Amino acid sequence: MKLSELKPGETGVITGVSGSGSIHRRLLSMGILPGTIIKVARYSPFGDPIEYEIRGVFLSLRRSEANYVEVEKIVPLYLIPPGEKVKIVVLDGGVGFVRNMSRMGIIPGREVEVIRPCCPMVVRTNLGEFYIGRGEAYRIYVR
Amino acid sequence: MLIALAGNPNTGKSSLFNAITGAHQHIGNWPGVTVEKKEGFAIFEGEKIKVVDLPGTYSLTAYSLEEIIARDFILKEEPDVVVDVIDATNLERNLYLLTELMELTDRIVVALNMFDEAKKKYKIDVEKMRKLLGLPVVPTVAIKGVGVDDLLREAVRGTFHPKKIDYPEDVEKRIEALENLLKNLNIKNPRWHAIKLIENDGEVRRKIASLGSKNILHMAEHMRHEIEDIYGDDIETLMASFRYSFAHGLFHEVAVPLNVGGVTITDMIDHVIAHKIFGLPIFLVVMYLSFQFVFTVAAPFQDAIDLIFNGKDLASGGHINGLIDLSYNWMASFLPAWASSFINYGMFRGLAAVLTFTPIIMLLFFILSLLEDSGYLARVAFLMDRLMRKIGMEGRGVISLMLGFGCNVPAIMSTRALKNERERKLSIALNPIIPCGARIQVFAFLTSIFFKENQALVLWSLLLLSMAVVAILGYIYSKTIFKGEGEPFVMELPPYRVPSLKGITIHMWEKSEGFLKKAGTIIILAAGIVWLAAALPWGVEFGGKESLIGQFAKFMAPIGAPFGITPEAIIALFFGFFAKEVVIDVFSVLYGSKDVLLAAMSPIQAYSLLLFILFYTPCVATLGAIYEETRSLRFVLFVILEGFTLALFFSFLVYNIGSLLGVGV
Repeated sequence: MKLSELKPGETGVITGVSGSGSIHRRLLSMGILPGTIIKVARYSPFGDPIEYEIRGVFLSLRRSEANYVEVEKIVPLYLIPPGEKVKIVVLDGGVGFVRNMSRMGIIPGREVEVIRPCCPMVVRTNLGEFYIGRGEAYRIYVR
Repeated sequence: MLIALAGNPNTGKSSLFNAITGAHQHIGNWPGVTVEKKEGFAIFEGEKIKVVDLPGTYSLTAYSLEEIIARDFILKEEPDVVVDVIDATNLERNLYLLTELMELTDRIVVALNMFDEAKKKYKIDVEKMRKLLGLPVVPTVAIKGVGVDDLLREAVRGTFHPKKIDYPEDVEKRIEALENLLKNLNIKNPRWHAIKLIENDGEVRRKIASLGSKNILHMAEHMRHEIEDIYGDDIETLMASFRYSFAHGLFHEVAVPLNVGGVTITDMIDHVIAHKIFGLPIFLVVMYLSFQFVFTVAAPFQDAIDLIFNGKDLASGGHINGLIDLSYNWMASFLPAWASSFINYGMFRGLAAVLTFTPIIMLLFFILSLLEDSGYLARVAFLMDRLMRKIGMEGRGVISLMLGFGCNVPAIMSTRALKNERERKLSIALNPIIPCGARIQVFAFLTSIFFKENQALVLWSLLLLSMAVVAILGYIYSKTIFKGEGEPFVMELPPYRVPSLKGITIHMWEKSEGFLKKAGTIIILAAGIVWLAAALPWGVEFGGKESLIGQFAKFMAPIGAPFGITPEAIIALFFGFFAKEVVIDVFSVLYGSKDVLLAAMSPIQAYSLLLFILFYTPCVATLGAIYEETRSLRFVLFVILEGFTLALFFSFLVYNIGSLLGVGV
């Protein structure tokens, strides 16, 4: 879906950036790149432009510009109710965080099942059941 | 030694520049463009250091003027050190520019600015960052002057062993192959050129083509297609991704976030300030309070300046001499009366007029800096973008228009905030239509005489009309003479910050000084000309029927008649060209008392005159500012013509329709 279609409060992971010339470059240099997590902070009074949060920065994009960005809608694991099975899409953190998660089988592309809600959360992966802290559950994005 | 300051916008680069150079700075423009160039000097351990502030940019592509200026400066002027000013509270995004700078030059000192704030957000390992980058890294707090000495010490004596930005193997080997070919061409910095060729950078391609190496261009193009095929995306996205992954990796190596998932103060404030419904009313209240502040604070200063220079007429009929009168008397003792009168009542009074509205201009710049440095201006741009786009401007354009209600001069100078040249010109062309504080004073004076019962209504009708005309003209202009593409609006909403009083004061001085020096001369000259018109032929009553201007008014009387404008009003309008509030004085002088004035014009004539005053030519100071900002006499003429066209149109329409219907005759 297009970035402009995400509603306030929703999160997406960028899958592609089109456009050409200065607008393309501008989006890229602001860090709007495939694989990056982007969140809709709020709409302006006329629903255009839209404020997004990306890489800890707040950006204002016009709808016409957000149309150049393709996203996949994702949610933090934190919000998933018990009993549901979800697919890991992206981990929001550095090398250390990614390594720690992969030790528990929390790897992009894999499925996990939520056993107990936060906090701490309990999830079942192919490697077993694990405790997940609040901070971590916010940084694991699933579909 | 030459140091260049590079960095993203909103990183406190200007504050750091001020902290390094203190008062030793000079502001000009980069050659041939309206982008501001700041240079300054510092002495450190006996060495004289020249500091150049490069435009704030997010990257160094060839797509925007600022970016080209910044990278060309580093390439051609080869500064001894480039200081990359990084907003430490926003490390990851800021590190992206560093990756581009590191490809351009080896000698970089990284300033981790706003380090005090950043410490609340992350634990930053500065030593590790030094090691990973191979460059000096210095924490600074520019607004408090913290770390400036360390920064200069590293710039003078630091060691630079920068690490390479690593690209994936497939890309790296192609860059190296191209780099080797470019080395044969004797190009400085072959690696940067190689990377830019692969990135398909227009400027660099032209440069290499001009050296006659078509071969290299073909090869670079071939490599580009290969890389795009391997990674399945366009080259620009890929190269940006590689650099960002370096920045991302570095960021997570050196910074540990202290609280994840928490809501920031900025986000909380924006929840109200940038609210879908409350945002706009809050903006209006902020503007209203700002103007209240400006006019309340300025009034006593203006009165004092007026009293000092012009003296005061006493109710008893006497006159207390001001500096101008005293100076006149003194000069008259050794100069002919006409010369002393010309110098003092012409030019000197012009200078006094400039000084009288200086407090307003300074305070408006104060407010503008306050709004900008606190981060609110970006929110206004966000809130207003949709509306402003209808009249051909981005959201920030609204600020210039609003400032116009205070004074058109700072308003026109503030259009520099608009990045797009077309939008800037459009904004300048519309600004004089907004009635400034001086015109509003004139309206208040005239309406208090002619429309005692409906004063507020009449005043509002003028304000609303001016806004409607701005909207309609903006719409028409943006579809015709100022037609074109807008800039990408991708804009950062920086965190709210408590602005530093020092920073704001410096900013206010810079702007006001610039105006006083440049426009001041023009105004004083114009004041001289106005004096000549009113005083010649020598011996007639000043501004009276026999003077040049009096004769001109008599000559123009038949032309003024269809608009209901009296010869006395023509004289007042003429003087108003010099400074709009003077219209009040001229009416007072020519008509003597309010009752005479009331009897001289019918209400419809008065309203027609108000409309004329609303639109006709901007004052000399505004024209001076327009010339300074556009460097085009044609543009100045265009604005004058626009004003008169609107003035004649509305006065004629209202006077004649009113007269026909028998309203207010």
